[in-house]
Amino acid sequence: MRVLAPLILLVLALLAAIALDRPLPPADLVIIESADCYTLDPQRMSYQQELRRARVLYEPLLNLRATDCAIVPGVAKSWEVSDDRLAYVFHLRDDAKWSNGDPVTSGDFAYSWRRAIMPDTAADYSGLFMNVRGAHAFHARRTAALKEYAKNPAARTQADADALLRESFADFRDNVGIETPDAQTFVVHLEHPVAYFLDICSFPCLAPVHPATVEKFVSLNAESGRIIQRHGWTKPGFIVTNGAYVPTVWRYKRDMRLEANPFYWRRDEVVAKSIECRTIENPNTAVLSFESGAGDWLPDVGPVYKAELLAERKVYLERFKAEYEAGVALGRTHDDIVGALPEPRDGERRDVRGINAFGTDFFSFNCRPTLTGGKPNPFHDARVRRAFALAVDKQALVDRVTRLGERVASTLVPLGSIAGYPEVHGLGFDPARARAELKSAGYEDRNGDGVVESAGGEPFPTVDILYSTASPRFQNLALAMRDMWKRELGVPAECRGKDSKLYKDDLKQGNFMIARGGWYGDYGDPTTWLDLQRKGNGNNDRGYDNPRFDAMIDAAEAETDPAKRLQALARCEEWLFTEELPILPLCNYVTVYMYDPARLGGISEHPRLEQDLTKLTRRDGVVPAAPAKDSQR
Amino acid sequence: MSASQASSTTAGLIVRRLIQLPFIVLAVYTLTFVLAWSVPGNPLENPEGRRPSPEVVEAMKKQYKLDDPVAFYFDYLGKASGVSYLLGKDDKPFDLGPSLKQPDWSVNEILATGLPVSMTLGLSAMLIALVLGIVAGTIGGLKPGSPIDAFTQLLAIAGISLPSFVIGSALLMLFAVKLGISPVGGWGGLSFVALPAFTLSLPFAAYISRLIRFGMIEEMGADHIRTARAKGLPRWRVAFKHALKNAFLPVLSYLGPATATALTGSFVVEKVFAVPGIGQNFVDGVLGKDITLVMGVVLVYSTMMVVFNLAVDVMYRFVDPRIA
Repeated sequence: MRVLAPLILLVLALLAAIALDRPLPPADLVIIESADCYTLDPQRMSYQQELRRARVLYEPLLNLRATDCAIVPGVAKSWEVSDDRLAYVFHLRDDAKWSNGDPVTSGDFAYSWRRAIMPDTAADYSGLFMNVRGAHAFHARRTAALKEYAKNPAARTQADADALLRESFADFRDNVGIETPDAQTFVVHLEHPVAYFLDICSFPCLAPVHPATVEKFVSLNAESGRIIQRHGWTKPGFIVTNGAYVPTVWRYKRDMRLEANPFYWRRDEVVAKSIECRTIENPNTAVLSFESGAGDWLPDVGPVYKAELLAERKVYLERFKAEYEAGVALGRTHDDIVGALPEPRDGERRDVRGINAFGTDFFSFNCRPTLTGGKPNPFHDARVRRAFALAVDKQALVDRVTRLGERVASTLVPLGSIAGYPEVHGLGFDPARARAELKSAGYEDRNGDGVVESAGGEPFPTVDILYSTASPRFQNLALAMRDMWKRELGVPAECRGKDSKLYKDDLKQGNFMIARGGWYGDYGDPTTWLDLQRKGNGNNDRGYDNPRFDAMIDAAEAETDPAKRLQALARCEEWLFTEELPILPLCNYVTVYMYDPARLGGISEHPRLEQDLTKLTRRDGVVPAAPAKDSQR
Repeated sequence: MSASQASSTTAGLIVRRLIQLPFIVLAVYTLTFVLAWSVPGNPLENPEGRRPSPEVVEAMKKQYKLDDPVAFYFDYLGKASGVSYLLGKDDKPFDLGPSLKQPDWSVNEILATGLPVSMTLGLSAMLIALVLGIVAGTIGGLKPGSPIDAFTQLLAIAGISLPSFVIGSALLMLFAVKLGISPVGGWGGLSFVALPAFTLSLPFAAYISRLIRFGMIEEMGADHIRTARAKGLPRWRVAFKHALKNAFLPVLSYLGPATATALTGSFVVEKVFAVPGIGQNFVDGVLGKDITLVMGVVLVYSTMMVVFNLAVDVMYRFVDPRIA
């Protein structure tokens, strides 16, 4: 048949295509990621997986030690802070090098920070730079200048755009508090004292980029006057990094290979010389792939059955309870104890683990005086918010709804996550007090029908609970809480699930009474959480506006002694979660990892979960004689 | 009819179809654009991430012409089709733009990494489907009503009606997890292609087997087959040489749209087997309102679809000269 000839050709072509497309050579460490990086540009990134990658590609002035989140030297070998806490002088090390051998200079940092502050870059995390003196005003001036410039695009020439850019750069040099007295000294002046500025300096978005490489992909748009950054510089072959690794292969949404940077100043401490990051978006396939032995670490276990996986782990640990407790008493780490135990039997596992994260799951109360549409909002009254918070049995939610063994939370800042910050407790579960609070707000069951009414006989308005349908977790929590409020308070409530985009729109417009929320901290200070309640904060979805709270935070920030400052902030948080309750905290998020402690060492348990990939070691089934803690130092 | 006449009409067909192509693609482009634009939301905001400041969103909207659908429509069309390049407004032709959600990747780059993978998967699946479908259909069609016919029919119904994420997950559990003879997911080498291609092939194999079965039953009762049998030709030779050839014709016309479906409809299989093809990128693009990515993929796929159908029509003429 003549039709066979094209078929044979097709078979040959397919075999050739398959044969030419090979997997990567074996790496020292294989990580299975649930999503690929959208960008490797440190100034423009904003997702977890990107920041995790950036930590090993780019080194900022300072590093965060994975084990305890202490600030340790990075490119800066030492630093000084002025007495007024407004000036920071960083002394850069001589042996800090880019992956092409160039030295890392203070000019590289100045270039990268300016890049992040320029509105042209549209950096998601530009807010972190706004503490620098004059940065905010400069950002506003450049934004306004660009707006003015773009009013008449047709008449603009390349020379106009160049002139505007030169003007902006001169403005930056003269008015923004960044100085480079010499190649090894980087000076930053702040707008006002920022107690956690060193912590911010360790954030990946403040790491430098290699200016010569980036500039090759920059052009200036004559019509808009904006700097246009083309993306090619982050690709293997072009990208130049100053961290522990350099990407040598990047196949989008497939895999990325990192090789040790031969010029990195701490290259001798880098254990895994090559890392493969494989992207598997389907959560079930990711788990199966890990189980088949294709990866060493799965940092984000996604399937809904992860609660069942954790239950199997519980069975295993139950069997070796005595050994585990004896190990803990001897001060050994979890991984060393569990890694040395006998292999799990059927129905047991030790390769999955939930670790408390630097995040809190909560629901938001709409605190605005009126709802969208102009109706009065009962949740404007703090007594009503307290009543609703007191009526929620969080332990029951964690045990029966979310089922990941989360720690119940009554405040926002996860306990023990910030060194020196006191333990703060908010309201617990107290249905009797909840009813009393509601009564004091004027609502009680006056006619015995099980529904509370106001003094005028009006029943409590049906509570509108908004959640996003992105995860069944949100719906399950909303339904469970609706029933708790009906049962304990006698209020009618309805759940409204929306697609995550529409949910976000409703949230922003205040079109809800109670809405699902959640937050992960960005830096090691309580204000990364508390600032959410400040008036005008971009993430204050609740519309909470209390001058007393803002004043309390300002007073705490004025405190010069760090310990006293943290105590003042703790008082602020305590007041917020015993009296005001703009947010109803439920529990701290748990991040579920898959790794077998007998095969992989070096995972940190600190809630900020900043894993140092250079320290992860494959044990290859052999339990090492030295405890993992030593290998982390 | 002489050979030259046949080839001239085939050439005519190709020319006619190629003239139609831009109009069909334009219609698909326009329809997709209207649908994609009317989806609520904004590609510049992450539902679960940080929010960029309003000025940033405003500036990005301006840069990508997201504030003006008409300007975007023509600007994108000009760049993608190469018209802007011909007019000297652009430095490269067929520029499908930057991905709005994935700043490090242009749509051209995403297609360049994903399209070969999706094509390999889709075409492998069609090959498997052809082999499975023809074998099963012939066996059933030669002995209609026999137990083996009932069995292949049952399998065909299962292949059509069971969704691929169920079959795919079951195959993964069996071959990759329990037996350990196949990798769980990923790409790179024959062992990675086998399971996803087989999963993707099943509904097509089932459909092809039913087409062949009906064709065979009809053909085996036809006059020319009876004549061939009466001449004393062996039954298998008659079946394969004469009956199958005609029974295959409906399959051939099904192959064009089926191949296009296998290429475009593979996203579920790609997801289950973590195959880094275009399918997942397209779905992510739709969900994230990444309009440049969606439009780029649609343009490339609709062009491919027209070309596949054309290729099948040309092949049809070679196999069955009656059509010309």
